[in-house]
Order: sequence, then C-alpha cells, then structure tokens
Amino acid sequence: MKKKYIILILSVCAIFSAIIISGLSYAIPGETLHTIELPEIRVELPAGEGLDTTQKYCNICHSLDYITMQPHFSRAQWNAEVTKMIKVMGAPIGEADEKAIVNYLSAQYGTGQ
Amino acid sequence: MTGRSFSRRTFLKTAGVLTTAAALGGFPAELFASGPRLARFPEKSDLILLTSRPPQLETPVSYFKEYITPNDALFVRWHIANVPTSVDLNTWRLKVSGNTGKDLLLSMDALKKFERVTYTAVIQCSGNGRSFFDPRVAGGQWRNGAMGNVTWTGARLKDILGMAGLKAGSVDVSFNGLDTPPLPTVPDLVKSLPVDKALEEDIIVAYEMNGAPLPMLNGFPARLIVPGWYATYWVKALSDITVLSKPFDGFWVKKAYRIPDDPCGCVAPGTEAKKTVPINRMTTRSLIVDPSAKAGLELNQPVEITGIAFSGGYGIKDVLVSIDGGKNWAEARLGQQRGKYSWTQWSYAWRPSSPGTYTLMARATDSIGESQPFEGLWNPAGYLWNKIEKTEVTVGQGVAR
Repeated sequence: MKKKYIILILSVCAIFSAIIISGLSYAIPGETLHTIELPEIRVELPAGEGLDTTQKYCNICHSLDYITMQPHFSRAQWNAEVTKMIKVMGAPIGEADEKAIVNYLSAQYGTGQ
Repeated sequence: MTGRSFSRRTFLKTAGVLTTAAALGGFPAELFASGPRLARFPEKSDLILLTSRPPQLETPVSYFKEYITPNDALFVRWHIANVPTSVDLNTWRLKVSGNTGKDLLLSMDALKKFERVTYTAVIQCSGNGRSFFDPRVAGGQWRNGAMGNVTWTGARLKDILGMAGLKAGSVDVSFNGLDTPPLPTVPDLVKSLPVDKALEEDIIVAYEMNGAPLPMLNGFPARLIVPGWYATYWVKALSDITVLSKPFDGFWVKKAYRIPDDPCGCVAPGTEAKKTVPINRMTTRSLIVDPSAKAGLELNQPVEITGIAFSGGYGIKDVLVSIDGGKNWAEARLGQQRGKYSWTQWSYAWRPSSPGTYTLMARATDSIGESQPFEGLWNPAGYLWNKIEKTEVTVGQGVAR
C-alpha cells in the first residue's frame, strides 16, 4: 500500500515536472521573442520663463522635438496647439500652467505676433 | 533591356551611390551637414529624426533611387508614446471579434495558413510633404521621405473576416494595435474602415515586408495594408479586429485624419473646412530624385533626370518633364511597375546646351486622369500634398578636359 502511494506520488511529480519543464522551455526567450531597445535622445530647449513647466508637461506624452520641429507660430496658433493637447489629446494641464506654456512657446518659437 | 526599362548606366550610377552609402554605414553625413539630424534606431539605418518618442523617422530621398525601399530605410511614424518594443510570437494573437459568428484568436502560424498574397504597394503617410505647406501648419514636419515602395506579403482581411463570419448589420470594422497611450485620457490609436471597404480583395494583414519579418518599428509582427489609401489606416502591430454594428466613433477617425469634403480636399489657405470626411485614397504624385536641388551640371554632358511616380491605386499613365520651369513638357520613359499600387521609376535624358539656371519639373498622371496641381492645395491638417515639385539646377560653362 505504502509502495503504491510512493509510486503514485513519484509519477505525479514526474508529470508535473514535465509540464513545468516544457512550460519553461515554452516561455524561454527563443527566436519567437522579438525585442528592441529604443535610444534615449535628449532635446535641450532654450532657457526662458516657463521652461520647467513646458518640459514637465509636454514630456509626459512626447519628446520635446515635437516642439522644436514645428515652424514658428503666432501666439494664437500656439494657444490653439496647447488647447488641443489639453482638450483633444487629454493632457492634464491646469489653467495657470497652460498660460505659462503658451507664453514660453510664443517667446521662444513665435513669430512676434 | 527594353526601351521602357532603365539604362544600365542609370543602374550602375544608382548602385555606386548605394555602395558608397553602405561603406560609410549610412548616407554620407555631408549630405545633411546643414540640414536634418540623422538617428539610428533598432533595425533601421540612419534616418532623418523628426521625433524620438514616439518615433517619427523620415527616409532620405536618395533611397528612392531604388525601386524597392529597403526595410531598414522605410520611414517610421507612431502616434502615441507607448510603442511596442517586445513581442513574443508564442503569446501574440490577432483577435477577431464583435458582430461575428465566432471570435478568432489567430496565432502567427494560423495567420500564415490563410492563402499567401504578395504585391508591391506604396506606403505613404497622410502628412508627407506637410513642411511645404504655405501657410505652414502644425504636425509632423515631413519633407518627401514619409513614403516608400514595399513588397508586402500576408493574408487577405476578407478571408480572415470570412472565417469569423460577419453577422447581418455589420457597418464598420475597427483595427487596434499593441501601442498604448501614456495616460488614460489620451485616445488610443484605433482606426476603422467601412465594412464594404474592409472586404475588398486587396486589403491584407501583412507579416512580411520585402520577404522578411517586419521591423518592430514598422509594425512587427503584422500590420494592415490598405493599398492605394494613406498609411494612417495601415495599423501597425495589429492585435484586434472588431466588427461593429454601429458606426465607429473613435477619435482617430471621427476627429483626426479628416480632409475637407471637396473634390480637391482643399480650402482657401488659412481657412477651416465647413464639412470634412475621413482621409482615404492617395493623390497622384511624382518626385524628381536625381539630380538633387542645387546640383551643378556640366555643359553639353548628358544628364539622366530620374524620379518616381505613383497614384492612389490606378497606376501611372505618363510622366511629363519640363526643364524650363513648365513652359515646355516632354514625356519621360517609364520603368517597370509591379501592379497598380506600386510606384514607377521614370527617366528623362537631357543634354544642357547652354549655361544657366534651369527649373526641372515633373508631372504624373494616373490611368483615370488624376494628375498634380501647379500650386500646392491647402488644408488645415497638411494632408494630400502632391504639388508639382521644382528642382533648380545650375549648368556651368564646362570645365577644361
């Protein structure tokens, strides 16, 4: 009786370890796993009032080259862009910070209008 | 070689440029000395860096000397910050659900069991050429490199939907990929097609680009291919296909990627459209690839003006070339065209016989008569760019030989 139990326990162990081993090999990164590592590319924005606020919020969703690649815009256009980021793209920016960002962008990347 | 194909000389010249580029491990830096920044992302060659997170990378125009755009040179454009960087094919599944007879969870092996379809098609970002708009508009400031000509292989969407079984009352089909928004308030990139469009023969879920798996940044392991239409619909790293019994109301179709509801897709520069529709078929366009702008040419020496041309799925009927800023036009020689969705290369032999500055222009027309405008058509989002480009070159007095 005791011997039978031991055999049963051993065979159950064997089955489980077979499952675990096959499971492991199944999950071991092999040729089915495809991984890349994206480079970190830093973008320096020019110093100016509102720089910290601009960096803090814009960086949540996108790299700062989203700003530097744009043509120079009027204040009204920058205002429209920042409003779009809040109202349409879901950026969590309060009113005071919104104003600081628009001021910064208009000063650094504006047309003077 | 037939009269319509490229000369051996052109081929050797092209091959020479590419060998040089390969030897330098990318395109010569001096080409861009004062211009765009280049960056090397995984599985990609040096491309023009627009943005790094999410990545937007543009193909240098020199690559368009080749008929097929290599996988490592094809442009990259993602919308929301969390792009997939790791995919395990053991766990990846393409889910098909919604208004269907049954739901599917297709592994890559299962996807490959559908009939294998291969064709060559131009992929082009809706905003290709946005930086040329006047007045300028906000958005990815692409020049001409948000496009490429690629041979795609995959399974027909129609066959996949057929296996799931569309129930009566199906209206739209939506497509979602593995990319996710950085915040819950940011709209996830989900696109849709009307069900009639989705059932068209030529739309595929592609798992190969030019005979190889897709690079991660171009949508590994599979992406939707809607040939003839702008790439906004070509959802990358596809994971979910949902059949809908109500019109799709997601942000990226209902609010974004829309054009003025007008045959030209345009409005008076600087104005808003009263009514808009989702962007769809590509406009006809051409590009002069060689010589490049500001090139110095020699008097009385033969020059091969070469470029590419394509349309929104109707092939190219002819390409006209002007060397005098549009006063006179002559027909270019067309190269091979692998089907109606592919681009065609063209060439025009020229021997400048007097010194001076010349304005080269090219104008393509497709098989249904759609061509290119002389002035850029304007719309607020900067889409559909297909103005006839001008390339200015200078012919010198010639050098002593």
